Amino acid sequence: MMPIDPTLFTIAAIVLWALGMLLFLIAGERKMVKVLAHASYLAGILVLAVFTWMLWDILGRPPMRTLGETRLWYAMFLPVIGYATYVRWDYSWILHYSGAVAIVFLAINLVYPDNYDRDLMPALQSVWFVPHVIVYIFAYALLAASAIVAVKGLAIQYFGLKWSWSMQLADNLVYLGLGFLTLGLLFGALWGKEAWGHYWMWDPKETWAFLTWIGYLAYIHFRYHKPNKTAEANWILAVAFIILLIAWFGVNYLPSAANSVHTYAQ
Amino acid sequence: MSLNTSANNRAPGAITRKKPVWASPWGYAEGWLICLALLITGTALQLTIGGLNANALSWPVNIITGSIFTAVLIFSWYFLRRLPMVNWLARVPAAITSIALLTFLVLIMGFTLQEDAGNPAWVQQLGLSNMTSSWPFLFGMMFFMASLGMATLKRLTPMKGRNIGFFLNHAGLYIAILGGLLGAADLKRVFFDLTEGEVMWGAVDRDGLYYEMPLAVELERFNMEEFNPKVAIIYNETGRIVPESISQMFEMGKGHRGNLYGWDVEILEFHKMSGRIDGRFEPVIDYGAPPAALVRVTDSGGQQLEGWITSGSFMYPHQLLHVDHELAIAMTIPQASHYSSDVVIYTPDGQVRQARVEVNKPVSVNGWKLYQFSYDDRFGKWSSSSTIEAIRDPWLPVVYTGIFMLIAGSLYLMTLGKAPETEPDDTPALHEAGMPSPDKKNNTPLYVAAPGPDAERALKPVRKPQQEPEFEGVV
Ligand code: HEM
Repeated sequence: MMPIDPTLFTIAAIVLWALGMLLFLIAGERKMVKVLAHASYLAGILVLAVFTWMLWDILGRPPMRTLGETRLWYAMFLPVIGYATYVRWDYSWILHYSGAVAIVFLAINLVYPDNYDRDLMPALQSVWFVPHVIVYIFAYALLAASAIVAVKGLAIQYFGLKWSWSMQLADNLVYLGLGFLTLGLLFGALWGKEAWGHYWMWDPKETWAFLTWIGYLAYIHFRYHKPNKTAEANWILAVAFIILLIAWFGVNYLPSAANSVHTYAQ
Repeated sequence: MSLNTSANNRAPGAITRKKPVWASPWGYAEGWLICLALLITGTALQLTIGGLNANALSWPVNIITGSIFTAVLIFSWYFLRRLPMVNWLARVPAAITSIALLTFLVLIMGFTLQEDAGNPAWVQQLGLSNMTSSWPFLFGMMFFMASLGMATLKRLTPMKGRNIGFFLNHAGLYIAILGGLLGAADLKRVFFDLTEGEVMWGAVDRDGLYYEMPLAVELERFNMEEFNPKVAIIYNETGRIVPESISQMFEMGKGHRGNLYGWDVEILEFHKMSGRIDGRFEPVIDYGAPPAALVRVTDSGGQQLEGWITSGSFMYPHQLLHVDHELAIAMTIPQASHYSSDVVIYTPDGQVRQARVEVNKPVSVNGWKLYQFSYDDRFGKWSSSSTIEAIRDPWLPVVYTGIFMLIAGSLYLMTLGKAPETEPDDTPALHEAGMPSPDKKNNTPLYVAAPGPDAERALKPVRKPQQEPEFEGVV
């Protein structure tokens, strides 16, 4: 008995985003189509937000515990960031990219419906839980977008493609993303002190979180010092994102994680 | 033939761009060489005299070490800035190379189980299974902290408004890390193994050594609340849950109904605490009383089966409902949702205080924090004993000062994003990159961007980001 059936909401969000992206592509100068595109894209986000809110209510705990649940948040925030970036800076590709990634994440959740169980172990029941996870997922979504900017930049350099592209966008995304990442790390430290008595224990999850953080730190310092060496900067971004992915999904599979206290997410 | 071949090999334009290593000012090449030297020296020390003793830094050695380290940085910055090394430590090449060295070491740590057991002898010998108390890690940290500290000093005087964000990030990180590193040896964690009704004046540490405490704790009552158990389908023979059914398990509760591995399962009755009477279960309140449920199973052909199941407890056996000779319906063991200890705390000044110590809600007394650590899980909610962990962390205020500076600093970081280029698709468009350096006015580097195959080469620096020369040699 699933407390709430995610299928309908998930499919609705996917359809709305896909429709919105299609309308953005074909809109051209037609005002009406553009308005519909905006409406459809935003409606997709809204549907997912409503679902998340209902799920939270029904579970009686924040839906942030399993990987499937974090994918849900990611699928919600990424289009928000894509949309905001589009409205603010007019990069339409990022809107399509974030929509596409969000659709992929939701599709994964459709194929592997997670066990939305009710139990939340006592250590996770803390006021820090929600801010810590939300801030982290927001950071991940921003930094994923910056990784795409980097890959695009590398592709342009390598294949000589005639795409418009700007390092400034990557910088902006990283400042925001690293800001959120730092907050997530620090909230985690403050929470750790309350939950098990220490703010930092070099637990494998913490170790990889630190590596992710310091990778982006290297990026902003390198950018500051050698702003015209964009190829190297793009490589730093791409590698940092791989480390981020390990920190998020991979840690549970590493030999170093045998004793981790953070491997409760299935 | 000229003797000076290297000069001859150079393209005419490149002649000013190469700089011999160790000539002032230092750059990336010197940084990488320093990393290498630190790694070699650290490894040699590790192999010859072994790893570091984490307790060597306990009070007052830590405050002295930290003060001397910081004083040396300050003195060097204000009096020895002429030295190429001092100047270099405050700049980005040192920052990036030290960050890279630390990343390298932490990366090894990220792949290696941090425990001697389970690692081959050579890994242990190199200190890789005990990274944070190895010589290479110490040297890497010192290099990193020296660079971070120097960078902070560089922007400290004269203090300008625009440097506040920089200060919060860099000084905050310096304070937090230094406090954490130096404070580690002063951190004390001990355990009170409490039994209901007994007063404990002393605690034991990890190694079982008795530790005199400035407080005594008495356990009045251990409390636990549980989630309702779930209904599961298991193999008769092994007692294991059928893996495909895990995502279909659902919570017990009267009237709950769901599909479990192709069966329609309905909970007709559920008691959180029950006693067995004539083959039925009735609600009772009793020591060790387990939860029980009456379930009805219907298969796809409409065949029905009804019976009681219970998870059992330490006092009573469990009971299953066998659906065929392979599978059975079972009740999972209830999981804790909350647990806490009601304690009385006595301090030497004669004060007596009642408190509840709960997971995620420690209680502070006399410089110690008390944490709910564990209980006797054989008895679950009927446990009459509870373990309270007491932690003293005198350096915590230092670390928190750094952390709160960093929180403010990360908000500043979020504001650094720039307005977009007005016309991102224009060729060539002037666009900004890099960040303004508060050191000099209006030296934001400007580039001429031209998309296309030569995009990278077409990025021409109009102005340098900093006045220091750029060397292309090693990056
Ligand atoms: C919380 C972590 C950090 C953040 C958010 C951060 C941020 C920044 C930013 C944004 C700048 C550009 C200058 C400005 O905006 O005023 C900068 C410069 C710099 N940072 Fe960091 N940084 C951090 C950690 C470090 C570390 C660990 C080091 C050294 C190991 C370091 C060394 C430097 C240096 C040398 C500069 C150049 C200063 C100058 O030339 O004036 N930073 N940092």
